[in-house]
Amino acid sequence: MNRKLMSLQEASALVRDGATVALGGNVLHRAPMAMVRELVRQKKRRLRLVKTAGAHDIDLLCAAGCVQSVDAGFVSYETEFGLAMHYRKAVERGEVQGHEHACYTVICALRAAASGAPFMPVAGLKTGDLIEANDYFQVIANPFGDEPVTVVRAIVPDVAVLHVQECDEDGNAIVAGPKFEDVLMSRAAKKVILTTEKIVPKSKMRMRPDNVDIPHFLVQAVVPVPRGAAPCSCEKSYEADFKMLEQFVKMKTADEIEQYVQAYESKDRSGTRAGGNW
Amino acid sequence: MNTANQARVSDIMICAIARMLQDGETVFHGVSSQMPMVAMMLARHLHAPNLVHLNIPGGVNPSSIKKASYSSAGADLLASAEAYFPLEQVFDLSMRGGLDVAFLGGVQFDARGNVNASVIGDYHKPKVRLPGGAGSAVLIPTAKKAIIWRTKHDRRTFVEKVDFVTTRGNVWRIVTPLCVFAMKDGALMLESIHPTSSLEEVVQNTGFEVKYDDIRFTPMPTARELSVLKQIDPFDYRSSEF
Repeated sequence: MNRKLMSLQEASALVRDGATVALGGNVLHRAPMAMVRELVRQKKRRLRLVKTAGAHDIDLLCAAGCVQSVDAGFVSYETEFGLAMHYRKAVERGEVQGHEHACYTVICALRAAASGAPFMPVAGLKTGDLIEANDYFQVIANPFGDEPVTVVRAIVPDVAVLHVQECDEDGNAIVAGPKFEDVLMSRAAKKVILTTEKIVPKSKMRMRPDNVDIPHFLVQAVVPVPRGAAPCSCEKSYEADFKMLEQFVKMKTADEIEQYVQAYESKDRSGTRAGGNW
Repeated sequence: MNTANQARVSDIMICAIARMLQDGETVFHGVSSQMPMVAMMLARHLHAPNLVHLNIPGGVNPSSIKKASYSSAGADLLASAEAYFPLEQVFDLSMRGGLDVAFLGGVQFDARGNVNASVIGDYHKPKVRLPGGAGSAVLIPTAKKAIIWRTKHDRRTFVEKVDFVTTRGNVWRIVTPLCVFAMKDGALMLESIHPTSSLEEVVQNTGFEVKYDDIRFTPMPTARELSVLKQIDPFDYRSSEF
């Protein structure tokens, strides 16, 4: 009867090769890492990633050869763990197109998608080489005034992959702590895959419907994955796993990357094997 | 001054940045921004108790920054805050002219205030793909004051001409380990030299002609400032970029 609750493998089938994929969270926080690793295991190709500021998610997908382009304002692990070297090298080798945004222009492009508009004005983007270098920015005449206005083309994700703390089996979800761009992504994308720390009873969500950030009718897949953001942090549940991140940023070969992803496989898929809630 | 001997470059930079902030201003920092984060906290504890601290996770005026060890975008900044005002709304605020100060980074800067945080070499076939300018391209043109900090000061950072203009103009101050630059009439001018450096050192490490009206030195941190820093930043996140 309930067709939304599914395994990580089943949900990953909703992400086709060549899909535009919006990734939830921000830098090392609440990134949907379990699904990212599943996309690597399933050998997805030519993905077009979208995020304001990414880190381990974008870096790992680039390391595994899953990526065609990255639309983002910032890709790095911040100060402690340094640069996203796999992303960087993949762009420098010409394998991945780096579509640099100003963070806000990703938000505006998603707002355009969420409201069904073909583009969105970006009031502050007035100068610099990003406008000329990227065809998704255009400077147009303001129909209501004299100053020209820069617009950004809508980004309509085929799928948004988001990790949340609580969700019921229908897909009503609550994001604890910072929501980052997750709520906007859920409105902009054609499909939404949720991985969740835990499945809560529908009755519990009914007690606080005003707290639900993502309503069920926007959601196609719900996958219980405890520690589904690890080694990134997940507010209320766990901090970032420094040891794993330190190990990963030193990895260079395809074998190392494969082993890294395989080491998580059993844990990543355990939420739907345990049989408890679903 | 006996405090002078104890002050490190990171302390001098933090105090210089904190003093640039005025009471009541709305001030934003983004990712990888431990230094401005600590400076904002210092200003709030001293001369700017009504400063409004804004950040990516959306925590308005977090009461503590002690948990922001590896990230300045984590949930901890919201958990101890007064209200929720997330990134997209901070951007909107700046677009409509309501953001007083934005802190931004960059990798290359030139004398005309051009900022590069994007690439070394060609944009489409870069020799080096940098992390990206994050919000710079929309915040530097719209915030009333844009402050840039950089913990490197050498001829590869301060160059004759940047490889790529991620954004330009409206840079108010640039704070480095050697000095503070200010934008005047479209050009970077030497504002003050840190007491730990010298004019010669600044000139040697800057790839464009260093211009100045007269020679001033950045004030040393006071005993009060250093004492508050110990209290608000006991784990020395302010030095994490060094």
